Amino acid sequence: MSSHRVLIIGGGPAGLTAARHVSDLGFHATLIEKQAQLGGTPIASHYAALTHGFRDAEDAFRDLIHQVTDDKQIDVRLNSRVVGCEGRVGNFNVHVANGAGAETLDAGAIIVATGFEHFDPARETQIYNYYTYPDVITLADMELMLKSKTVTRRSNGALPERVCFIQCVGSRDRQIGNEYCSKVCCGVASKQAIEIKQLVPTAKLFIFYIDMRMYGYWENEIYWPAQEKYKVNYIKGIVTEVIQKGDKLLVRGEDTTMGRPMEVTMDLVVLSVGMEPSAGTKEIAHALQLKQNKYGFIEVPHESLDPTVTSTPGIFVAGAAAGPKDLDDTMSMAGLAALRAMAAVRGAN
Amino acid sequence: MAYRDNDKYADVPQELKQKLFDEVKADERYDDYLYGCYECGICVSACPSARFYDYSPRVIAQTMAREDLNRFYEILADDIWNCAQCFSCVRCPRQNNPGGLVTLIREVAVRNGLKETREVLQGYSRVIYKVMLKGNQVSPDMLRPDFFPDWGPWVQEFSANMREWRLAIPTDTLRGVTDAAWKTDPKTLRELYYIWYSTGNLELIQEVDPGLHGLIAEVVEEELAETEWAD
Repeated sequence: MSSHRVLIIGGGPAGLTAARHVSDLGFHATLIEKQAQLGGTPIASHYAALTHGFRDAEDAFRDLIHQVTDDKQIDVRLNSRVVGCEGRVGNFNVHVANGAGAETLDAGAIIVATGFEHFDPARETQIYNYYTYPDVITLADMELMLKSKTVTRRSNGALPERVCFIQCVGSRDRQIGNEYCSKVCCGVASKQAIEIKQLVPTAKLFIFYIDMRMYGYWENEIYWPAQEKYKVNYIKGIVTEVIQKGDKLLVRGEDTTMGRPMEVTMDLVVLSVGMEPSAGTKEIAHALQLKQNKYGFIEVPHESLDPTVTSTPGIFVAGAAAGPKDLDDTMSMAGLAALRAMAAVRGAN
Repeated sequence: MAYRDNDKYADVPQELKQKLFDEVKADERYDDYLYGCYECGICVSACPSARFYDYSPRVIAQTMAREDLNRFYEILADDIWNCAQCFSCVRCPRQNNPGGLVTLIREVAVRNGLKETREVLQGYSRVIYKVMLKGNQVSPDMLRPDFFPDWGPWVQEFSANMREWRLAIPTDTLRGVTDAAWKTDPKTLRELYYIWYSTGNLELIQEVDPGLHGLIAEVVEEELAETEWAD
């Protein structure tokens, strides 16, 4: 028997948006989330302001979450995970496990929105000592500080005088195996630099980069103000080593455009960790027998023209499960995935 | 910023470097001259000086943004005099003005009468002398055949018979004039004196060449005494 339901896996920005659009257009959705809460990485990782527009992340997603949880046409299943799937477009049987046991749910189409996770600096091939020095932190650690409006050194609680970001940690690196650009870190680091400067006006900020990739309006909304108004120093050159010097961190690299090696002391070093497929994305690829690309993201065979279509008819993908995405792209993709899923359900019935 | 390289002016105290740096940044034009630098190199590609000298308008902008005091002092002492102040660099996509930064740094260098600045400008005393007393900067009698071999063998003939050559020019302001490029009208000259006097140029000259200043100030004051700007 065929099903008109759309089953969405993942309750982050993409999954929530897809569920809302499915319902808006009169279809029923089932939203499966393995955590006890909705909101995905922005909420679980305590994001402060959204990079585009500086809106408070919790506020922004609270609205979206309520739209979904208040909607009778959306069946939200928390603490649940998809463990297997049979059938084909129009008639999938999806096995879902939760604390109480397992059940099989029907779906005409499936949207995978299982997202990304932050790169773990333990695998970094440079010498950044994330797990050794308390004042070497990641973008995600900084988000948590910014959310509490307190930026201090973890080593001694003091306000930082000098803070630097090191870009492309875990991205654009053949040695690590992640040749791709994670797309958002340039914007996020610049956004954080502005927020830090607002909280600690005396701090001096540095961003060490390979290229600054500030798409569209990120340029004039984030990059230029960071450099011109907040006096963030952008230095083309990647740091190779962070070592303790007294109670400071000595950062070694090259100031390539000034043409010389550089050693600077910092109070806080923020590693701009990129995106990798989340554990959930890899699990789901396995459970649904979806092809993954060489990095483990869900493969999208015709990405430019058909960005939500996977290797399996009736199964669509939205957001960073398909590779690094910013929120703008994630939301657009979620809407398209909802549309494609509904069309598939109708076509199959 | 700190770099692992040799500081050419290590003997100059950091406090002085900082003071001069702050003086440049305090200029009210500064914020209009430096927004943020892409380090794209458009200014360098457009810069005539950069083609011939070890000079980069990009590095000027970057050094100011990085607050690199040691490099700043090198720029203040040396680099700024390689700029021809042609402002080709203002085609910057961020609307920076590296040539304008050079103007500001030059003014600070001269105002503070730095040793390096006096040395650099020594050769210009004669030019200033000419400009201020004759109204234009290069005159035929400044030509020395052995100074500029690239002017070719003809300059020998000209130098030897300068007055005859100039007598042949059928223009009143040029005919027979060898101590100026052209004869400047005394009224024009007095107007120039007044402009230089009231814009502080004489004080700047006093910083870099007190002897020259004495000579010029006397002439300027004497000339201005007979004008409507006497006081």
